Amino acid sequence: MKFGGTSVATLPRWQNIRELVASRRAEGARVLVVVSALTGITDALKQLCGEGGKDKRKAAAGAIAQRHYDLLEHMQLALPGTLGARLSDLAALAADGPAPRGELAWQAQVQALGELMSSALGAAFLSHSGLPTQWLDARECLAAVALPNQNERTRLLSAMVEAKPDPALNARLAALGEVFITQGFIAREQHGRTVLLGRGGSDTSAAYFGALLKAARVEIWTDVAGMFSANPRQVPGARLLQRLDYEEAQEIASTGAKVLHPRCLSPLREPRVPLLIKDTNHPELEGTVIGPEVRAHAPSVKAISARKGITLVSMESVGMWQQVGFLADVFAHFKTHGLSVDLIGSAETNVTVSLDPTENLLDSDAIAALASDLAKVCRVKVIAPCAAITLVGRGMRSLLHTLSGVLAEFGQLRVHLISQSSNNLNLTFVVDEEVVDALLPHLHDLLIGAGALRTDDSALFGPSWQMLYGGGEVVPAVPAWWRVAQRARLLELAAEATPRYVYHLPTVRQQARELKSLAAVDRLHYAVKANTHPAILRVLAAEGFAFECVSPGELDAVAAVVAESVPLLFTPNFAPRRDYVRALATRATVTLDALHPLQHWGELFRGREIVLRVDLGRGLGHHEKVRTGGSASKFGLPLDQLPAFLQLAETHGVAVRGLHAHLGSGVLDAGHWGEVYAQLASLAERIASVVFLNIGGGLGVPAHPGEASLDVAALDRALREVKAVYPQYQLWMEPGRYLVADAGVLLTRATQQKDKGGFRYLGVDTGMNSLIRPALYDAWHKIVNLSRLGEPATALYQVVGPICESGDVLGTDRRLQEAHEGDVILIAQAGAYGKVMSSHYNLRDEADEVVIDD
Amino acid sequence: MQPRLTRVFRFVRSSYADGVAELAYAFDDGEELVETIRFPQAPAVPAERRAAFDAALKLLHLIAGVSYYKAGVPPRIELADGPLDDATAELLDQLYLHGLAEFAYRNGLDLRGRIIFPRGGSAPAIGALDLPKRTLVPIGGGKDSLVAVEAIKSIGGEATAVWVGNSALIAACAERTGLPTLNIQRELAPGLFELNRLGAWNGHIPVTAVNSAILAVAAILYGYDSITFANERSASAATLEYDGQQVNHQWSKSLAFERLLGDWLHTHVAADLDYCSLLRPYSELAITRAFAKLTPYFDVFSSCNRNFKLLGPKPVDRWCGQCPKCHFVFLALAPFLPKPRLLAIFGRNLLDDENQAAGFDALLEYRDHKPFECVGEGAEARAAMHALSLRPEWQEDALVARFRSEILPQLDVAQLALEPWLQPSAEHRVPLRLQAALAAIGA
Repeated sequence: MKFGGTSVATLPRWQNIRELVASRRAEGARVLVVVSALTGITDALKQLCGEGGKDKRKAAAGAIAQRHYDLLEHMQLALPGTLGARLSDLAALAADGPAPRGELAWQAQVQALGELMSSALGAAFLSHSGLPTQWLDARECLAAVALPNQNERTRLLSAMVEAKPDPALNARLAALGEVFITQGFIAREQHGRTVLLGRGGSDTSAAYFGALLKAARVEIWTDVAGMFSANPRQVPGARLLQRLDYEEAQEIASTGAKVLHPRCLSPLREPRVPLLIKDTNHPELEGTVIGPEVRAHAPSVKAISARKGITLVSMESVGMWQQVGFLADVFAHFKTHGLSVDLIGSAETNVTVSLDPTENLLDSDAIAALASDLAKVCRVKVIAPCAAITLVGRGMRSLLHTLSGVLAEFGQLRVHLISQSSNNLNLTFVVDEEVVDALLPHLHDLLIGAGALRTDDSALFGPSWQMLYGGGEVVPAVPAWWRVAQRARLLELAAEATPRYVYHLPTVRQQARELKSLAAVDRLHYAVKANTHPAILRVLAAEGFAFECVSPGELDAVAAVVAESVPLLFTPNFAPRRDYVRALATRATVTLDALHPLQHWGELFRGREIVLRVDLGRGLGHHEKVRTGGSASKFGLPLDQLPAFLQLAETHGVAVRGLHAHLGSGVLDAGHWGEVYAQLASLAERIASVVFLNIGGGLGVPAHPGEASLDVAALDRALREVKAVYPQYQLWMEPGRYLVADAGVLLTRATQQKDKGGFRYLGVDTGMNSLIRPALYDAWHKIVNLSRLGEPATALYQVVGPICESGDVLGTDRRLQEAHEGDVILIAQAGAYGKVMSSHYNLRDEADEVVIDD
Repeated sequence: MQPRLTRVFRFVRSSYADGVAELAYAFDDGEELVETIRFPQAPAVPAERRAAFDAALKLLHLIAGVSYYKAGVPPRIELADGPLDDATAELLDQLYLHGLAEFAYRNGLDLRGRIIFPRGGSAPAIGALDLPKRTLVPIGGGKDSLVAVEAIKSIGGEATAVWVGNSALIAACAERTGLPTLNIQRELAPGLFELNRLGAWNGHIPVTAVNSAILAVAAILYGYDSITFANERSASAATLEYDGQQVNHQWSKSLAFERLLGDWLHTHVAADLDYCSLLRPYSELAITRAFAKLTPYFDVFSSCNRNFKLLGPKPVDRWCGQCPKCHFVFLALAPFLPKPRLLAIFGRNLLDDENQAAGFDALLEYRDHKPFECVGEGAEARAAMHALSLRPEWQEDALVARFRSEILPQLDVAQLALEPWLQPSAEHRVPLRLQAALAAIGA
């Protein structure tokens, strides 16, 4: 069992260690505890090594000793002899300085004291608290090997140990007792001098001991429950990885995961000792088990990681084609300039390599010198800063077909290099660094959505980081309104007629009230394009919402239902002149998003107050077709035309009262609106007439099982933070789908079934004519057999409609009950962009609409 | 009230008590517009500095009025305290005319002959105040003021990093300097926002002049003998000429203004209060070269024009990558930093982005005039670009390649050397006590 610096720094943490060791003893295991130095001590010792003067060294040694005395006092222990001896060593080494032993050997001896002291202290504490514990000097067990490529520094400060099972050591320890404590990070070399194991040293020590003793398992106790499917700081929805094999774990550790140093896995591979990562604060969590056995699992992407600060060197030349030694010469230049190459991609006339960020790269002229040398033989291009995004999982190539959505995402970016190793464990894309932070969580979602990251397999994937450490309590999911409370009613409605949309007004109200809790928002508009049913408009008007319309038709629909006093927004895109004329005759505030209206119909707007929709230059959302920001989107005024727009506004006496941006739909990251808000506010500061900012909608509604819903409290925090800085602007939003998606379902009935080449098709009586989102956006809607809820789901169906289009698919690979003709099949989350986007295609009857309000 | 139809701009009153200065203005018979400036932990004004303090406060009132005057640009200016002495009136006439030149150009106004501060009053006789030998160094979050700070630190000078207003970026930079800090708060009159809504004129004002006047008050209040700005040589160059008038976006950073205000402070406030720019002899390129050695600031500074009030940890949270300042600082630093280090500062490579071509063209004065921004002269930008075009690690980047193939053939290579830009000129007003710091920058 290995414990790190923070785990051994305080009395409560040592009490925790005692309990954990005792519990292993109770299972009948013999326990070897490996500890790091008290947190901060290794750094303090390093700093001591750097002090020039004897007095400063002595003072530093005194402070380090005091930390240990303080902890002893908390433990109410007398100074144990083993610790006393180490403290005298420390004082002596500090007084002597490096001279007698040689700089590096002295440094190693000084730095080794941290672990020697913490383990001595721990032995005393554990023994005193009724768990007789033998103190073991790691240097008597771990012998470093001399390797040909080592110099004195690496030999002493980042040594390697060859750890083969050693039955003699096992026997020796068995004779001594049941519980041992020893040091991480240190070993001895052939001449008996103390050496250090370098970075990740304590984990590596534990692995060496695990291999030497052929342990039942190695447990790394740390402050997190294990490895995750992504870096939780970048992807809060990252899932705990409960089972990995050595190679996968090593790959994940090498490509970004900080919890385990990659080198500590290789000693365990041959003796097949499993390694377990556990959270000291949550011992009940399963943690990550890394072992040899690859149990039968469906192939799955296990993790996605990003490494930033990558520099690419692209070399272009016809000279390399079939020339012996060309690449050898090229790579020799990299060696000369001390640059280490990581990824390589090559074509007949181009070789591109990646360089990891090192101080040498950043602060010396290495790149300039390299480029000069290479320029003599080829055209060189230095591309930076880049980031390498790596997907890790055993059998990556067999997953390629599931990755189409993910690959489409990369299709929108500048991908500089793609690399796939022959061990079939990874797939790496090198892209511009600036896109990574937003991209990573999005890709993680896409991988889950595409079924490439099989979070449905609970043997492989544990809870999300957010759920474990996110701070918020985990709210148990309330069953959807249609599942229990309204099921009988829905079955009756379906018996009357299908296809049929049913809207549940209490759900609309609930969502509306959720958004009204956003204290920073001064005005909420319902984007009526999502669903224009009069009953829904009435509910939202009663909840105090204003309304956002994009066409005269929508303005009419709203005007027919809501009171004169309710504010309206008119936000069309590429609308004809006559639409503006119509809108200007109403009370609606008009939004412009191009120069054209002011250039050509400026007089129409004279004396008016308008809103300007800008394009902040990037888009977000779950599908290309729902993204509304970025040059590839037709929405919004590009920022470089802003001065021209303001000039036109001035010329025509038009006051720009509001700024608006809307980047896309289905966004689940609360921070995103804060960013849009802050960007709009900083733009508004240059336009004196602006009084409000409209940050749009696009609030995501999770569709897939396991997708976290939008954190409204986090959104509120993000918005309030910006509002505090820009209190002079009112804040507007215009959510649509968020309010109504969950409130609507589409009821259909099963028609026919067909088996075809391993696929089972289940036909229902409507399809893309009623609900086009799956075909248009690859949207995922939950589909259930309402007639047979509760029965075991044994069939895997492709759920399809009756339209003569091969794209008329409502859901693929759906695990459902064995269906019968006439069963009521419910398609969930159909309240938004369902009926409003339906058509008469194939001259099929449109679904009708029913409202329930209880 | 229609701001653009007003007849008179009135300097109503100014007052100071307990660290708070109030500056009041009005148009015609309209409501008072009251600006507030807060000096934190203000000591009592020592009796021997009282007259100097009052003179500095009066100047602040007169200079800060420019933010309000420009809302209506009425034909008459009135002073409640009576006419100014000639030197003071001259300073203000010049400041309002040249400081608002860009504003006038953009709005199609001609201010010549319109700005007349009443004169005919008498000037006071003043002497030295034996002010403490320490310096107020305004920090702006960009590279220039940090170069100035490090120069003063390098000669062991006592200094305080000072800034006006709320800015997380500046606060982070000021903290990184390790100097004591002073953050003065300025609140514009709320009535100005209302005037804006009513259709006031709007545009660039000489904000450095306002900040200079605030710091002059601060120097007397807290006791400093010098205020050293970080305005470089090219700030004196006109951005363009329009209808016979020189238009300089950064006139209040020019040597002309520095001389006017510096002399005025010597004759009206205290003979031993010096106002100068420590970077005056240096070109932008000489300054970026000096800044390239200041690695500790790389992850906190930003010269970007987009006023980031909320800071994030990423480069895109400090550099918009679109504005002339981003373009210029990127280009000017490039010859002096390893490429990966520079790209890490900005988080992207602006010179490998074809969408930025127009922005860099403007800097190079290629097919466009110099943008209205505080950036170096076109020739400096061309010298920097030329230096990059000779470097293999830059040559293939989209805009450098474009420069080589399209722009360079039209230029005289003899005019493109970098080295001349690194030589300081002789002209500066740095007092003797700080001249060693001046030399340190060019070293």
